[in-house]
Amino acid sequence: MRESPEIAAEFSFEKEKAIAKSFSQRFQWEMILIGLGQAAIWLSLWPLVLNGSLDLWMGFIIAILCACFAYLPSHEAQHGNYSRGNPKLRWLDGFVGHITLITLLYPYHILRVTHMKHHAYTNNPEKDPDYLNAHSSSVLKVIKNVLDGSSTDFGKYLEVYSTDKAFVNSFEKAIPIALLYRFTLLVLVIIFPLETLFLWWLPAKIGTVYTTVFFSYYPHVGTSTGRYKDTSFWSHWMPRYLNHSMQLHFVHHLHPSIGHFDEPKAIETLKPFLVARGVPGADEIPDTITHNPLIKFS
Amino acid sequence: MIIEKIFDHISNWKKVWFGLIFLGSIISAVLQKFNLVGDSHYILVFAFGAGALIGFVAKIRGVWL
Repeated sequence: MRESPEIAAEFSFEKEKAIAKSFSQRFQWEMILIGLGQAAIWLSLWPLVLNGSLDLWMGFIIAILCACFAYLPSHEAQHGNYSRGNPKLRWLDGFVGHITLITLLYPYHILRVTHMKHHAYTNNPEKDPDYLNAHSSSVLKVIKNVLDGSSTDFGKYLEVYSTDKAFVNSFEKAIPIALLYRFTLLVLVIIFPLETLFLWWLPAKIGTVYTTVFFSYYPHVGTSTGRYKDTSFWSHWMPRYLNHSMQLHFVHHLHPSIGHFDEPKAIETLKPFLVARGVPGADEIPDTITHNPLIKFS
Repeated sequence: MIIEKIFDHISNWKKVWFGLIFLGSIISAVLQKFNLVGDSHYILVFAFGAGALIGFVAKIRGVWL
């Protein structure tokens, strides 16, 4: 990477990268537990509700929580953060990535390739698959886009990347899984209509709204293009454990191999680098990111 | 070729099929659960017809909402 002349040598990209690498070693067992755990809990809701051991409304609330926890473990898998370059562990990325997304009704292959393009072309109106979500005029608009399905216009990006063989291959791999999800949903809704609505379809929609608002909209709204400019540090009235600490999403864009639960410590160490580079909002990053220092009170 | 035609059909008519099967089943279940239309024999026709109609309107509009 070519250095800007105004960046002091002590904040060089090489030094930043070395620090980031030191936070990119740990095995992400928490995310595997969350991903497989929520999928197991969600699956167990079906027999519990169908045999009357659990009220449908309670099942609905638990399914919503599962759906809100479903994306992030897949996200770590999309970046290969379970295998960490070890070919013998690559199956783990795919395994966790696929299983955790069942709750959200999304095929892993499509989310992986579109997310890689989001990283490569963040905030590019033509090439960033998250552009519509990230640059909506309001949260309500994001919610509407998600609910009517226009937030994931995958067909458009298949055309944009039609010459990218790896992208097209991943899409083709995802089609049978997407059809299987739809087929299963339509069979289940005929047999168990209200259970399918409240245990799967509605929780998946609510989980997708939650994920899109906190992962796509808030971290990117109002930002521009460029490595240090395309994601911002932000604060929110919601304690960070309720929004998956997405106030810290900018460090993920800079160094995607840093595990989610290692990001707070990485940010504390990297803060001087981020301020020197002019990352949006970097000067407001607390020196210590403990429990809830990212709450916006006013 | 046949698979391509099936994919074309699904991508063109997916909203109508979703409305007919998914929304129709939900509307039917809600009407029956809350006994909103009594014991009418036409409940299934009404429920699945309404689902298909909603799906058809969504197909024409291009979006659900």
